Amino acid sequence: MNYQDVGLTAQEFAMICDKLGRTPNALELGLFGVLWSEHCSYKSSKNLLADLPHEGSAVVQGPGENAGVVRLNDAIHVAFKVESHNHPSYVEPVQGAATGVGGILRDIVAMGARPIALADSLRFGTDAASQSLRHAVVEGVGAYGNAIGIPTVTGEVAYASGYEKNPLVNVMAVGLLPAERPISARGAKPGSYLVLLGQPTGRDGIHGASLLASQDFGEGTEHMRPTVQVGDPFMGKLLMEATLEAVGTGLLDSVQDLGAAGLTSAIAELAYRSEVGATVWLDQVPCREPGMTPYEIMLSETQERMLLVVRPSNMEQIIQIVAHWELPYQVIGVITGEKVLTIATEEDPAAAVVAPDVLAGACPLKPVPQDWAAEVRKTAEISPEFTPLTWEREWGLEVLGSLDCMSRAPIYQRYDSMILTHTVWGPDHSLAVLTVKGVEEGLAVAVRGPGRYAARDAYSGGMAAVARVLALLASQGAVPLGLTDGINAGNPDKESVFRDLMALLAGIGDASRAFGVPVTGGNVSLHNETHGEPIWPTAVIGAVGRHPHPLRPVLDAPETSGLDIVWINPSGDAALGGSVFESLRQETTAYPRPDLARLAETYRVISSVAQSADHLTAIRPVEDGGLFVALSRALLASPPSLGMTVELSADTAASQLFTEVAGQFLVFCPPETAGRLESAFGQWPGAFMRLGRVTGDGTLTIAAKKSVHYGRVELERTYARGYRG
Amino acid sequence: MTFNVVVDVAWKEEILDPAGQSTAKVLQQMGYAADNLRIGKQIRFQLQAPDVAQAETAAREMAQRLLANPVMETYAVRVVAE
Amino acid sequence: MRVGVISFPGSNCDQDTLSALGALGVEAVPLWYGEKSLAGVDRLVLPGGFSYGDYLRSGALAARAPVMETVERAIRDEAMPVLGICNGFQILCERGLLPGALRPNASGEFLCTWETVRVASVPLGFEGLAAGDLLRMPIAHHEGAFSVEPGGLAPLFQNGQVFLQYSDSVGQVHALTNPNGSVANIAGVSQGSVTGLMPHPERAMADYLGSVDGRKLLRGWLGEGDR
Repeated sequence: MNYQDVGLTAQEFAMICDKLGRTPNALELGLFGVLWSEHCSYKSSKNLLADLPHEGSAVVQGPGENAGVVRLNDAIHVAFKVESHNHPSYVEPVQGAATGVGGILRDIVAMGARPIALADSLRFGTDAASQSLRHAVVEGVGAYGNAIGIPTVTGEVAYASGYEKNPLVNVMAVGLLPAERPISARGAKPGSYLVLLGQPTGRDGIHGASLLASQDFGEGTEHMRPTVQVGDPFMGKLLMEATLEAVGTGLLDSVQDLGAAGLTSAIAELAYRSEVGATVWLDQVPCREPGMTPYEIMLSETQERMLLVVRPSNMEQIIQIVAHWELPYQVIGVITGEKVLTIATEEDPAAAVVAPDVLAGACPLKPVPQDWAAEVRKTAEISPEFTPLTWEREWGLEVLGSLDCMSRAPIYQRYDSMILTHTVWGPDHSLAVLTVKGVEEGLAVAVRGPGRYAARDAYSGGMAAVARVLALLASQGAVPLGLTDGINAGNPDKESVFRDLMALLAGIGDASRAFGVPVTGGNVSLHNETHGEPIWPTAVIGAVGRHPHPLRPVLDAPETSGLDIVWINPSGDAALGGSVFESLRQETTAYPRPDLARLAETYRVISSVAQSADHLTAIRPVEDGGLFVALSRALLASPPSLGMTVELSADTAASQLFTEVAGQFLVFCPPETAGRLESAFGQWPGAFMRLGRVTGDGTLTIAAKKSVHYGRVELERTYARGYRG
Repeated sequence: MTFNVVVDVAWKEEILDPAGQSTAKVLQQMGYAADNLRIGKQIRFQLQAPDVAQAETAAREMAQRLLANPVMETYAVRVVAE
Repeated sequence: MRVGVISFPGSNCDQDTLSALGALGVEAVPLWYGEKSLAGVDRLVLPGGFSYGDYLRSGALAARAPVMETVERAIRDEAMPVLGICNGFQILCERGLLPGALRPNASGEFLCTWETVRVASVPLGFEGLAAGDLLRMPIAHHEGAFSVEPGGLAPLFQNGQVFLQYSDSVGQVHALTNPNGSVANIAGVSQGSVTGLMPHPERAMADYLGSVDGRKLLRGWLGEGDR
């Protein structure tokens, strides 16, 4: 085996030899291969991620751990993170998606937090094969989440041909932990045992996450297909309960889940973060298959395993817990004071000897050009703007019934969204509102990843992703506590892809700074390309907010007639760049760059209106499909007798109905609230528009020179079944 | 001619079978010495074909393309003239 | 009153069920499936979830657990009231303590939705529920299509064993209101002191969750009524 076989470059290999003071043996080379892979080391993105804001008053734990942690109140902290399982989900969609859910849940559990919610963000192509893939991926997400008993409370899905061979499966998990619980992945003390818990180790997914997710798909990758990892949510449930019970005793030094690169990553990370060493007795690792080599055991990605670090004096109590949950376990090693990781087998007590900080902390990072940030923030190239001069009744239905806008019920009804009985708003709303047992404050949870907005201008798209998700929190008056970023892009070794990646992250960074919300961790998935075609750079942003009164979410649809219909559009711009409407006409112009300062001010006002909302006011962020879809969805969510009449000027109606520029809100409110909004937004031309009124005629009427009517049944059918479906 | 086709689909040896594992455990708790239990699928159907060779070819193709997932399953095909 | 809630490995609605019972003011006791005695409880709930991962068939593996012998004896000897919710219903059918079986949903998919069910016959010991009452509760299952052997349906109706049927919002029971392919829209059945249902009353305990009808059902089972 040489360095190319494990995916290292000549330069990286030279550096390893230099750090070790010798040539690594085959096993050591294997360990470096996985840990210095893109997937484990983040070597292409780490320098870019460092630019994101990580500090904030609510932050307890920023990036670098298994998940970020923020403060809900003095007693309760929230652990949350998004993770991708894109490549495995293309190879085997049901198991790939299922093990993705299992993996992110174990990350949360490893933080000592009990998972309480899942949110999924999916991307598929538009061809028939992609629809079967979606069916299988949804099956997989549900199979794991439903069985382990964690509700999938919100999510999103979008479609574009670029995702055909590179579907995205990003899942965010949220968990709660008591404020006094120490963050647990860095407490390993010399003399403590490494206890491996859960599924016996098989040849599952060797190189799956590391190599497979670190290379592009193409002709040459067929032979690389590893043994598919099969998810076992039943074992996952037992593992979760046992780990949380063990953490609850306060007797564990440390916990680390086993994910990508299996034992190698778990032990190296653990030792590196705890600033200790470890000796692993490889013959002690329980194996599912006979004859597994040290290399295979160290790299196996068998699911449903957890590593506990336990002082010898605490072993008895911990083992009792593990035995109650009927989990297989084995002591496989010991923590040492000297910062050396030794892999020992019966034949060779020094089969591999490497310092954890070399293995887990020394991978050379891809340098970024000196003034990259200024470079990518340069004004976007002006593409010819796409402006229809008329508007047709049919266009509304086309957009509402498009793949990107139509009802997600066929997806989310396959997820248990109600188990644990804290889901006040589930997936039939644009964001989730959850109660937290025993306290007044609740959680607002949302996820958005508008790839379309980054197609032409990744910087704009990065800003918009953050703006989109935070608009949802603002509409509830929820205080954002933190963000998690799921970055998905193509091959970073290509200049164009890397440039997009830089721009995307600059956008996320600028937006989160402007809104004052920190990014506490996330995931980067690169090499999402097939035959040289990368996906759109796609930033999936998850947000967690503190909801002031979760038992009474602010309405998102009117419940009484007579209310004013107000459209807030802070930019006053109605460009169609990046919109669904535009994409249906095969156009792609650049997404208008958001004015972040103005958006931040807008969200402050909307949030304060939401916080003081009477029981009549309804607020709905304008999202995919623009104002038309927002009006239609609000109508469908309101009592059957209600209707809406809005007036627009004929020559701008199409742009106004379908623009997706950032920061728009649709507000249904009594005149006093409309007045308050008018005085707040009147300063910006075109930012405040009183569009019309909620009526009692059950119809959506759009008056733009002529009056056009949409019946509730027609809208309902189009939303449920698609355009002409 | 009509042929009866039986396709047995099984997990590849190296693939984890959680359902089989749990079922074996309960059988053991019930006092049976069952071990290495794997759960597969059996698919039966009828097929029109000119002769047994062509029926087998078609059945194999169906197993390969749809009935089994070659990423993690193996299959065996039996074809018997009615 | 002491109500035991039996958890099997993989049960996941046990905590929700314990809190729902607690909210109704009864002493709710968690029981692990490995325990030999029923700890002197007056009633038992088999909660929802994925006991043994729903492997082989939903409920099949849990139905063979030793604790089920004890449960069976308590039903036979003391007419112990037992309520099976979702996976608990599946376990009771697999054990033969309730008639019928639960097949995979007609769609072949897991389904989590709000449903209205109509009370067909009030099982033994329930208070405050009457035939024709409508209850709105969520379902969340992959295998919830109730089925019986040929000829088995008529006796169920004749004996008043059909407890709940999926209906529309005004109580009409027809094919369009059948979410999962259950025979005769059956959502719950009873046999002596044993009752099973697919909907989750423990998830319909407060207005903010969407319905309080689960309270009515559980109170009814506890023999307390809600009227």
